[in-house]
Amino acid sequence: MSIAATVLIALGLAVSVSGAVGILRMPDVYLRIQASTKNVTLGALPVLAGLVVAKGFFTPYTGRALIIAVLLLVMNPIASHALARAAYKARVPMWKEWKDQ
Amino acid sequence: MTTVFGAACLAELAICAALLIRVALGPTVSDRIVAVNTMSTQITLAVLLFAAWADRTIYLDVAIWLASFSYLATIVWSRYLERGLL
Repeated sequence: MSIAATVLIALGLAVSVSGAVGILRMPDVYLRIQASTKNVTLGALPVLAGLVVAKGFFTPYTGRALIIAVLLLVMNPIASHALARAAYKARVPMWKEWKDQ
Repeated sequence: MTTVFGAACLAELAICAALLIRVALGPTVSDRIVAVNTMSTQITLAVLLFAAWADRTIYLDVAIWLASFSYLATIVWSRYLERGLL
């Protein structure tokens, strides 16, 4: 049981690290949004599942982890979409090697 | 198992420290907002892992608060960038 939880938490951390590397290395705000959203959502859900697996199902962790997972799944795409739209409307420059604007 | 929770909490904080570089460097305001939005999610996970490490379930409500209200900042800032008023 604890091995499964450790594997889940390590998986989530690896995806979160890849998201952070993407935010640091991508050349453009739109590409950074791409790197941020999916990796953050996919990095958070295994950590929440690992917490529930480690602590047991009939504990206070389950309900809270479920609420946080639903909030992440709903609010993260909304926030990223609003941010990308605002950046496009505010004419944030795109990557200069990106020809098709 | 407690060691795993503590190490994972410290790793999330290390990810936040790496994202602070983007907050400092980011050429536009949008880059900084993207980095701060990511940091808020990582801090939510760090608080959850800290609650599991310390075995204090009261901190789980702090994590719920962070997950609920951290997106408000992103949405309000993007409205401000889009329209020029709040």
